[in-house]
Amino acid sequence: MGVVGVGWSGFSPTTAGISYKELMFEAARQAYADAGLDPRSEIDSFVCCSEDLEEGTSIFDEYVPDQLGAVQRPVQTVASDGLFGVATAMMLIRSGVASTVAVESHSKASDIVSTGRVDRFAMDPVLNRPLGVSATVLAGLEMRRWLHVSGRSEDECAEVAARNRDHARNNPRASYADTHDPTPLFDPLTHEQAAEPADGCVVLVLAAEEKTPEGAVFIDGIGWSQDAPSVESREWDRAAAAERAARAAYERAGIDASDVEFAEVDDTYAYKQLQHLDALGLDELDPDRVNVSGGALGEGHLREANGLARALACIERLRAGDAHVGLAQSWRGVPSTSAAVAVMRR
Amino acid sequence: MSPRVAVVGAGMSRFVRRAQETGKELSWIAAREALASCELKLEDVDAVCLTSAPDAFDGVHRKGDYLADGAGAWAKPYMRTYVGGGSGVFTAIQGWYTVASGLADVVVCVAEEKMSSCQPHPQGAFLTIFDNILERPLGPNLLWIFALEMQRYMQAYGLDKRDIAQVAVKNKRNAADHPAALLGQTDITVEDVLASETLAWPVQRLDVSPISDGAVAIVMASEDAAKRLTDRPVWVQGVGWNLDTTYWTNRDLAYPEYVENAARMAYGMAGVNEPRKEIHVAEPYDPFDYKELHHLEGLLLFDRGKAPEAAAAGVTARDGDLPCCPSGGLLGVGNPIAAAGLMKIAELFWQLRREAGARQVPGTPERGVAQAWGDLMQVGTVVVMGNDGGPLTTATQSPPPQSPPPSPRATPLSDQEFRSATGAVEQRLDTLYDWDAGEAIGAFLDGLRAQRILATICISCGRTLVPPRKFCERCFRPTDSWTEVPQTGNVETFSICHVTWDMQPLEVPQIPAVIRLDGTSEGGFLHLLGEVAPDDVRAGMEVEAVWKPAGERSGSILDIAYFRPLDQEVRRELVATATVEKTLESTV
Repeated sequence: MGVVGVGWSGFSPTTAGISYKELMFEAARQAYADAGLDPRSEIDSFVCCSEDLEEGTSIFDEYVPDQLGAVQRPVQTVASDGLFGVATAMMLIRSGVASTVAVESHSKASDIVSTGRVDRFAMDPVLNRPLGVSATVLAGLEMRRWLHVSGRSEDECAEVAARNRDHARNNPRASYADTHDPTPLFDPLTHEQAAEPADGCVVLVLAAEEKTPEGAVFIDGIGWSQDAPSVESREWDRAAAAERAARAAYERAGIDASDVEFAEVDDTYAYKQLQHLDALGLDELDPDRVNVSGGALGEGHLREANGLARALACIERLRAGDAHVGLAQSWRGVPSTSAAVAVMRR
Repeated sequence: MSPRVAVVGAGMSRFVRRAQETGKELSWIAAREALASCELKLEDVDAVCLTSAPDAFDGVHRKGDYLADGAGAWAKPYMRTYVGGGSGVFTAIQGWYTVASGLADVVVCVAEEKMSSCQPHPQGAFLTIFDNILERPLGPNLLWIFALEMQRYMQAYGLDKRDIAQVAVKNKRNAADHPAALLGQTDITVEDVLASETLAWPVQRLDVSPISDGAVAIVMASEDAAKRLTDRPVWVQGVGWNLDTTYWTNRDLAYPEYVENAARMAYGMAGVNEPRKEIHVAEPYDPFDYKELHHLEGLLLFDRGKAPEAAAAGVTARDGDLPCCPSGGLLGVGNPIAAAGLMKIAELFWQLRREAGARQVPGTPERGVAQAWGDLMQVGTVVVMGNDGGPLTTATQSPPPQSPPPSPRATPLSDQEFRSATGAVEQRLDTLYDWDAGEAIGAFLDGLRAQRILATICISCGRTLVPPRKFCERCFRPTDSWTEVPQTGNVETFSICHVTWDMQPLEVPQIPAVIRLDGTSEGGFLHLLGEVAPDDVRAGMEVEAVWKPAGERSGSILDIAYFRPLDQEVRRELVATATVEKTLESTV
């Protein structure tokens, strides 16, 4: 499957005066122009990745077709991170039901007044929520356990945050290159080691190999998985879902971790970057080849669009000719364990 | 041509008003039954597909993640797809492409719904399906829009309530033979339906499917795996799905074009050229009785407006020429939303294997179609399934099993048991949002504050659009200019609402309507009628906007207080004030 078009909008802490529909329209227009395809007749299927409570609208699927050029066309919502939408596009194309697919995800985080309350509703209603703790406390709990088991240090995590923000200085999409706040959030997690929210939208246009021009970026392998949803029975000292997703993606692409030249991985929290690199078998990769975009720590966290932001950075770098094989990985953030991995080549 | 994929197993929980089981447990019951029906274990499954309707029912954000272990997805590739009410049939489409892509050999598809958690009434989950800026301030609920659509369908084809009520009778009678059904009833009559409480005219209580808890699962397999697992696979021959514009007030509600589009996609893949001859059994989506008729027309199984006539002639009865909803449908078996859609796929599986027991349609049906519908009267999902006239030797040589088994689980609770259940936890879904109206709607709201109704124009398709948009959804290009349109128009369709969203009686009925403004190209927008007695409202009636005083206007859809008849003879001063005040009170 080839990447024939990319488009993005926003990537800033707020997008005042612009509705989510207008944000999506802008990214979609760019992606279709990049692909040279008319969405009204030349895109076979549309996949949007969103969750109702992120939008404040039940059945958010209702509100996506117009601004994507998808009216009276096959459209579906995947209630997950954007990379799961890319996996869906791959299945649609391989099944033969579509040869071109648009995948969209966005964040209008600035519309959500009570972010903490939205995240809290992702926790078990009977056993966890009554305790009254933030969902983000799970990151503090997991970080401590992982540091304990892996022998990694808090300083190493702080270095990740500093390096990603430093990388972000060269990225026009990054808003958080200068953030520096070592005060504790959910100890040992600090403010500067947690990605700040941002608004933004990413649209990718994907196509069957025979419809992809020579020299384009190809997505050769994709994998996705999850661990136990309940906090009572999940693994706390490794990113097991990312491991399984990576195994599937490498196998489908016919490569192994040593072939990966650079990676854009989930860094919602700095320790997650290190943990995810372990899970992907990329712990030996040169740190200057990881999240060169600045990651979510530099660009801001785009909620369900986070995986597409990593994929976009990966595609741009391959298009620039800096490397031949790259990897993008996502994780849905607390309290989720869902993770996806895409392996790309040019 | 796509690789062949079959349904090889199915299972479901009983559909009940309030289940003791959690959503995870309902999912587990269905998934386990489906696996047992084809003698598989969880380790034989490569991937799990899940669907469930709004998170607001359960009050659980990221419900897909939450349900994963119940659906048997731990450590497996797992995804939740979601197209509103169309989700149940769509999850079979998801299962189909997951297998057809070659990424999995055997998948389990699970559709779960636990509506009873949502209090004081599951309709509460639907209060937030409407446009956040332009519709929600009017306080619309789900019954409004169904009533508006039903009214338009009846009016377009000159139908009577009696023509429609017969569908509820047929389906509730059919459901009496379904061991998992909530509302099977052998002795119900058209008179019972017509005598039931009016909720939002023309919708009466027995026109509506019941709120329910439940789950359904199916097992799907690649051609090789299917042949290994069973001698009676039921093949997925075609899939189709289609989503119409968000602007539901801009389309003619008399006919579901998006269902036709989805059906044409599925028939095309299945090689079905003459659906009326080649489809032998149908499970159209029937959350309301008129929807079955509406959808049968969209599925191209009857001419527009002619399904009621065929139903009256017995064509759609279980022993008719085209049995429709032999399961009992949502009206009879129940409507745990996503689960109800997948129940239709399971029913076709059982019918085409001739395992439907007392529900079995006569003859040797070889091909069926299942369809679901959802979002803002907007999405169609269609699956065509067939047995390829394949070997039915097992079924013909020995008595067919009753499927689902006679005592599928899910424990119904009375209202009192439900409220006193151990561990019952009460939480308010108190999330808060502050939405950017955006450039186009922002300017529209500024116009309302100044007592002007503004529209945008697309010169490519020539439409003048209210509500205005920054881009034309049909041409997919920016709109070109702004214009002001008259404050008069016509009532496209209307409803007389006698209850609130949580089914509390209204002293003064509300009259929501779709208003088509003069000077606009088509459709219009949702608002309320005032200064008119419910009996005097007519489709096509000319109306004008009544504005709040300048000092009270705030840049909101409520700056227009309501629309009233242009004809002064029809106006009723007292009704107006009471109706609108009542509406705004309930909104606040």
